[in-house]
Amino acid sequence: MEKQDSNRSLSFIDTPTAANAGFLERGRRIKMAAEMGLVESSRGRHWSRALRSRLLRRKGNGACGCKEEGLAPCKVAEDLVGEDGDDEVIEIERRVRALQKLVPGGEDLAMDQLFEETADYIEALQGQVNVMRALAGLLDGLEKEKRLMGG
Amino acid sequence: MEPTRSSGAGSGNSGTYTPEIAESLRFEEEIQSLMRENTVHPSLEPPPATGGSSFTALLGLPANQAVELLHDPDSGDSPAASGGCEMWRFRLRDPKVMTLPSGCSPTFPSNASLVERAARFSIFAAEDSPEAASVPSHTHSSDHSPKPKAEPPDSDSQPICPIPGERPQRPAKRKEAEKGIKVKGPAKKGRSAEEGSAKVAEDNTGGDKLPYVHVRARRGQATDSHSLAERARRGKINARMKLLQELVPGCSKISGTALVLDEIINHVQSLQRQVELLSMRLAAVNPRIDFSGVDSFLSAECGRVAVGNGRGGVGMEQSAWMEAPAVNGGRRQQQQLQQQQIWHVDSVHPHQMPSVWERDDPSHLFNPGSSLLGYEPANSASLHINQLKTEL
Repeated sequence: MEKQDSNRSLSFIDTPTAANAGFLERGRRIKMAAEMGLVESSRGRHWSRALRSRLLRRKGNGACGCKEEGLAPCKVAEDLVGEDGDDEVIEIERRVRALQKLVPGGEDLAMDQLFEETADYIEALQGQVNVMRALAGLLDGLEKEKRLMGG
Repeated sequence: MEPTRSSGAGSGNSGTYTPEIAESLRFEEEIQSLMRENTVHPSLEPPPATGGSSFTALLGLPANQAVELLHDPDSGDSPAASGGCEMWRFRLRDPKVMTLPSGCSPTFPSNASLVERAARFSIFAAEDSPEAASVPSHTHSSDHSPKPKAEPPDSDSQPICPIPGERPQRPAKRKEAEKGIKVKGPAKKGRSAEEGSAKVAEDNTGGDKLPYVHVRARRGQATDSHSLAERARRGKINARMKLLQELVPGCSKISGTALVLDEIINHVQSLQRQVELLSMRLAAVNPRIDFSGVDSFLSAECGRVAVGNGRGGVGMEQSAWMEAPAVNGGRRQQQQLQQQQIWHVDSVHPHQMPSVWERDDPSHLFNPGSSLLGYEPANSASLHINQLKTEL
């Protein structure tokens, strides 16, 4: 599953004009760098490998040497609520599939491993967000300083 | 979703077990009186509360008495031939049972505290189905397996002592345990054939991994390998779900698997979007580097990227998505009116909670917001540099 790229998620930049094309491209590259940062921060994880191969694929690199795992069986939710009614199972299964799409490489995983990967992924994402926020704040501050200094 | 309790939870559930503990004490007296007759009987079985087998009965015995039983070969030879006694017999006759590793005293701590503790650690005790009836038996059976459940919370290591008690159940769960750490004993299948109480106990679920999972069949449930394996898996899944709940803010109060999963999905989505937005923001922050001659439009673009505060008009549909940081005042100067309109448009999108994550493109909820501006610019810059270094 290809993660939706920035164009679709940030709808206001859906129509790149000449003016913001360069900016968009730069933004995309920064995002890719951020995702590589995610990958590097949690190297051993399944989602990390999946994200890495996805990124490398996007860069045009063919030989990443990643191993494709077999697809997990379709009945994901039955492990959790095998004894409950069908409705609940269906509901839960829908959500599990949604989660699978969100977590890179999640579609290969069965439920228990999926949850584990999700937990790690959430932690890594949170760390990445913190780093980027701090960086952006720092750069903003520097820029502001520079402007104040008469730059 | 079945309420689960990780071994680390210990959330004061012991109070609820007092009646069962009392019952177990009563039951022990019964056992003692029976033992004095030196006849091991099916009547050794616990009171109808468990209606279980003598296997359960043995487990329900206070530790020292059980060990006594084990030590006593005589009483072992004449158990009644009820199905459950099979295991019992096996245990009595097995000399290996007697070899406890050095340093492990066969005398367990006082019964009531053990029961209480084990009951607290036993997630099974909270599960449904013959609960009322089986809880006492669980607390009984947990007598013998306090160590594997109680110790791993303390140290992720050797539940060596309860080998005699644990060996019979070991094979079922060991098959399940991906990280099966300790190979406790021989994997004997047949004994857990009919038996009564089983429970799934999570070891060290608070941590990153589960060393192994004890699975015992509940009363009335099949104890063949498949269902045991399934039950173990379910237990693991529940444990991991708990972990996720702790990670996601505001999730622990929610009950119900589907809702919890909703929250988790929301959280992941929000984090991913934050990454995107931050990368766009970073793209705008330092235009000098890559851009040449585009300063003019960049100043306009800055407003576009500037993640506004609430003034930007983006509705925070899900408060759970956002932490509540301080708004960076420095951003406001870059707010363009045009930009605010754009943000408004996005926030106008109907909030379709249940289906939002079903689409391939769940991007209707635009959620930049003030949470991205949690930092004072210059003052904490150096501090953040350090944070960056440590995080990276």
